[in-house]
Amino acid sequence: MEEVYAITLFLFVLFLLLGTGVWVGLALMGVAWVGMELFTSRPVGDTMITTIWATSSSWTLTALPLFIWMGEILFRTRLSEDMFRGLSPWLARLPGGLVHTNIVGCTVFAAVSGSSAATLTTVGKMSIPELRARDYPERIVIGTLAGAATLGLMIPPSLALIVYGVTVNESITQLFFAGVFPGLCLALMFMGYVAAYSYLSGNWNPRRETGMSFAEKLRNSRFLIPVLCLIFVVIGSMYAGYATATEAAAIGVIGALILAASQRSLNWNTFTESLMGATRTSAMIALILAGAAFLKLAMGFTGLPRALADGIATMELSRFELLMILMVFYIVLGMFLDGISSVVLTMAVVEPMVREAGIDLIWFGIFVVVVVEMAQITPPIGFNLFVLQGMTEHEMGYITRAAFPMFMIMVLMCFVLIWFPEIAMWLPDTMRQAP
Amino acid sequence: MTGLLRGLRRALDFLYFGAGVLAAFCLIAILLLIVAQMVARWTGEIFPGAANYAGYAMAAASFFAFANALNRGAHIRVSLLLNAVPSRFRRFMEIWCFAIAAGVMWYFTYYAYWFAYWSWKFNEVSQAQDATPMWIPQSVMVIGGGILALALTDHLIHVLVRGDHRIKRDLVDQSFAE
Repeated sequence: MEEVYAITLFLFVLFLLLGTGVWVGLALMGVAWVGMELFTSRPVGDTMITTIWATSSSWTLTALPLFIWMGEILFRTRLSEDMFRGLSPWLARLPGGLVHTNIVGCTVFAAVSGSSAATLTTVGKMSIPELRARDYPERIVIGTLAGAATLGLMIPPSLALIVYGVTVNESITQLFFAGVFPGLCLALMFMGYVAAYSYLSGNWNPRRETGMSFAEKLRNSRFLIPVLCLIFVVIGSMYAGYATATEAAAIGVIGALILAASQRSLNWNTFTESLMGATRTSAMIALILAGAAFLKLAMGFTGLPRALADGIATMELSRFELLMILMVFYIVLGMFLDGISSVVLTMAVVEPMVREAGIDLIWFGIFVVVVVEMAQITPPIGFNLFVLQGMTEHEMGYITRAAFPMFMIMVLMCFVLIWFPEIAMWLPDTMRQAP
Repeated sequence: MTGLLRGLRRALDFLYFGAGVLAAFCLIAILLLIVAQMVARWTGEIFPGAANYAGYAMAAASFFAFANALNRGAHIRVSLLLNAVPSRFRRFMEIWCFAIAAGVMWYFTYYAYWFAYWSWKFNEVSQAQDATPMWIPQSVMVIGGGILALALTDHLIHVLVRGDHRIKRDLVDQSFAE
């Protein structure tokens, strides 16, 4: 009986600290301390330092600040202007017209940046006014932007996948490649929705684009081509086995610096801003990871993960039922917590459960990322909704309703992943391992 | 008295910012180490211990930047309840948060100090190829953790005396966690 009290107390402290707004990383450390004091007689402080030191000084983690830095550099170039101008001539003829620039633009930027707010601002800054001027329905413009900006979590380099890989000790390169096709698949589903909407909607009569010759199209997108080359080099070097994830990140940073310099948008100001921004963001994630590593250890001592895994095993849930439970669980959690925190916070408990059920951890990483992506466009704290509110001055309710179809498409994507796991697993299975 | 306080304020702000700049240099060091390692591999050379050095630089980049990230509002917290309560009550919640956080970080710093101290006392050396005396990289936990603890205490006192803290929320920085 005493066990039950202790576990209740432990969980109560967890929710109390997180709920009252203690910074996530520090709250996790505090909770873990309580757990250790309750369940073991080990010297808590020394155990804490050893665990946190091992996590914070790991070589795998170095991919994180470098990929963040690469995104920060490109965020400060003139990519925003080039994106719309470069993409629109190619997409104008598709059913659904220029709305596709939102989705393709977000997909491209997702491949260089891990931040959804940066993706949203970069793409939306140009596309919102341009699409408005052409009389596209406001609702679909806002909705697709909110939905597509979440792709940054799945398309490599994805910070969420790095953090997941570090937490469950799986290869980051493999996770990256598992994310490629599901990310593209989701983007295609968004585009399919836009095309269908353009046929079925009554008020779809945007201004037609004038035709352009092939040479003109190419001239318009000449600034976009170097970015695509950079993406190709970074991802290709990992796929061919020339570089590890960290090394690919280093190549990415250097490529981004060269790109920014050749566009003349690299000066002392943008350089230091990108560097300091990357340092802060990576410190923020490192603090969460440090707290989570200590919490994972403490969780082990509480016996909670083992008990839950056994409990799930005795309930004889099918794989599908387990995944459905986890999906609902993460959607609810995502309403209160950001993506990375909810992944690292729960992995200590969820990992044994998932392994017990015989689910591949690489595949599960992609599944979790799709689910936490949804949280970004659900109230009350959907991140993309906030950013869009600031950009468009629509009220929250309107943006939420506009983004709702995208939410449903993501739910559909979860089922697609369950029914066709090959979408995620094919690429990592065929790639060569880096040295 | 006010002059002294203003001087202290400026010294502390300089400390937080200076540590942040140091962290930025560590990030550049990571980049250079990894590039050096890659170039070495391509030319058939070996750069022993590069991965370990990059790991130490990673720890340094994180710990030195903690305080700067806090002041610029980059650290994530659940602000749902904080934003919902009336401002008088909010102040008490902020005091609670800063007190808990500062407590955790001072505790951390204390044990990090002894951790590095014993490494130094017993001449503990890295087991990998780099053979670095471990107290050198480990001391970044003491310094960085200490600076974050100091910053949190600083904010705590500010909330107690003035009623507000000086942290502004940065949406772009935080959105990386989403």
